[in-house]
Amino acid sequence: MPEILVDKLTHTFGKGGPNPLTVLEDINLKFESGSFCSIVGTSGCGKSTLLKMMAGLFEPSDGQMTLDGDIIRGTDRRRGMVFQQDAVFPWMTVSRNISYGPRLRGASREEQAEIETKWVDMVGLKGFEDRWPRELSGGMRKRVDIGRVYANDPDVLLMDEPFGALDAQTKERMQADLLETWRQSKKTVIFVTHDLEEAIFLSDKIIVMSARPGRIRHIEEVSLPRPRTDEMRLTDEFIQIKRKLWAMLEH
Amino acid sequence: MEILAKVTTGRFGLGALSVAVVFILYIIVTNQPDNNPALLPPLTDIFNSFVTNVTSGTLFTALAASLFRIFMGFFIGTTLALILGCLIGWYKVIEYLFDPLIEALRPIPPLAYIPIIIIWFGIGEFSRVLIITIACFMVCVVNVIAGMKNVPQVYVDAAATMGASRFQVFRTVAVPAATPFIITGYRIALAAAWTTLVASELLAAQNGLGFLLQEGRRYFLTDQVMMIIVIIGACAFIMDRIFRKIQARLMQWSEARE
Repeated sequence: MPEILVDKLTHTFGKGGPNPLTVLEDINLKFESGSFCSIVGTSGCGKSTLLKMMAGLFEPSDGQMTLDGDIIRGTDRRRGMVFQQDAVFPWMTVSRNISYGPRLRGASREEQAEIETKWVDMVGLKGFEDRWPRELSGGMRKRVDIGRVYANDPDVLLMDEPFGALDAQTKERMQADLLETWRQSKKTVIFVTHDLEEAIFLSDKIIVMSARPGRIRHIEEVSLPRPRTDEMRLTDEFIQIKRKLWAMLEH
Repeated sequence: MEILAKVTTGRFGLGALSVAVVFILYIIVTNQPDNNPALLPPLTDIFNSFVTNVTSGTLFTALAASLFRIFMGFFIGTTLALILGCLIGWYKVIEYLFDPLIEALRPIPPLAYIPIIIIWFGIGEFSRVLIITIACFMVCVVNVIAGMKNVPQVYVDAAATMGASRFQVFRTVAVPAATPFIITGYRIALAAAWTTLVASELLAAQNGLGFLLQEGRRYFLTDQVMMIIVIIGACAFIMDRIFRKIQARLMQWSEARE
């Protein structure tokens, strides 16, 4: 089963140059397969950088990462990513976006249609199959992003503050729906956010990072029962975790 | 007044109004007693010249010759610009190879090549098409390159993390993302084709619209000159409209479509 290991990872921008800047220092992490983990920290702690490295978008200066024993080098379909920015291709309809990954690998029309039907439904976009992205709201476009990555069937989903630009109500709705999708697919999710409530609501495990340079400060196991409900956000246990983590972040 | 208000509201009405005003002003000026019809021929003369040239077949021959040059130059120039521009804008090695060359040639007006082209290739059909091709290529390639360089990084990253190879990203992301720029490049190229067409025909041609203009000047046929100017304007206008229709069709997905 796929499992991500981060081993003694350090990253220095401009290493060997006149002004080296270490953004990540001695990061050791393990993400169990099928788990939902969040990485939280104030801006500048390198959490997004770490996630992009896991995706293979750039390489760490020292140390390495492995997925299921294979060293991560460059991007491939095993590690899908959802970005904070809108990454839906505006020149494709909703369905065409969803089946983009399978089409890259030469999926037949029937296979594409099957995948489109399944994932359009899973992310709640039924009836919008043939719409252009410009006709959708920000929240709906995020659903397309998430559906497209899931439809590509990666081993791990990396999410970089995907709901950062959404309003509070849409965000809560998206979080609940994401958990449902995750429960059904049983894929590992690594979720970067600066929103503690979001991290607690979603995760099995929360990695707290400190900034300049980015280091692991604390790892919190969240034992709230699943499935999670919105009412849990107001329980004592939830608020206690939030208070504890809040104190750890430098404000 | 009410009718006028109705006609002038809306885009088409306002556009027609400005054209009508120019015509009316022209009629008023040419009807002044001290107007010299050799310099400003009345509309009737211009229309008569149109009828004469149509019935003799001269206008159609000229129009056909000019349109052929436009289409050839435009087609070859923009096709080369599309292929080369995409490669230059996407592959660093090709960019480093061609960028200095294009930057150096860009400020040179296409008409500046006319003397050397005539020296090398004479004043035949090939030379005229070549000048139009150069003009179309230069204005179009710059836009294609800009389009390829403005592809949002997040689309590239998204495709890559779904397993797209570098060439697949180029084909399925960069080219479609650049289409708004590419279409703009094509439209500017069309305008450039008309500009250089007339210039190339003024200098060296035995037929075509530019030739009729030149002939009008030589024999002091001001009405013919005026008539050809209107014809060129109308042709360029109609072609641009057709282009906009194609653009609207291709750009259905875009927020900024016409």
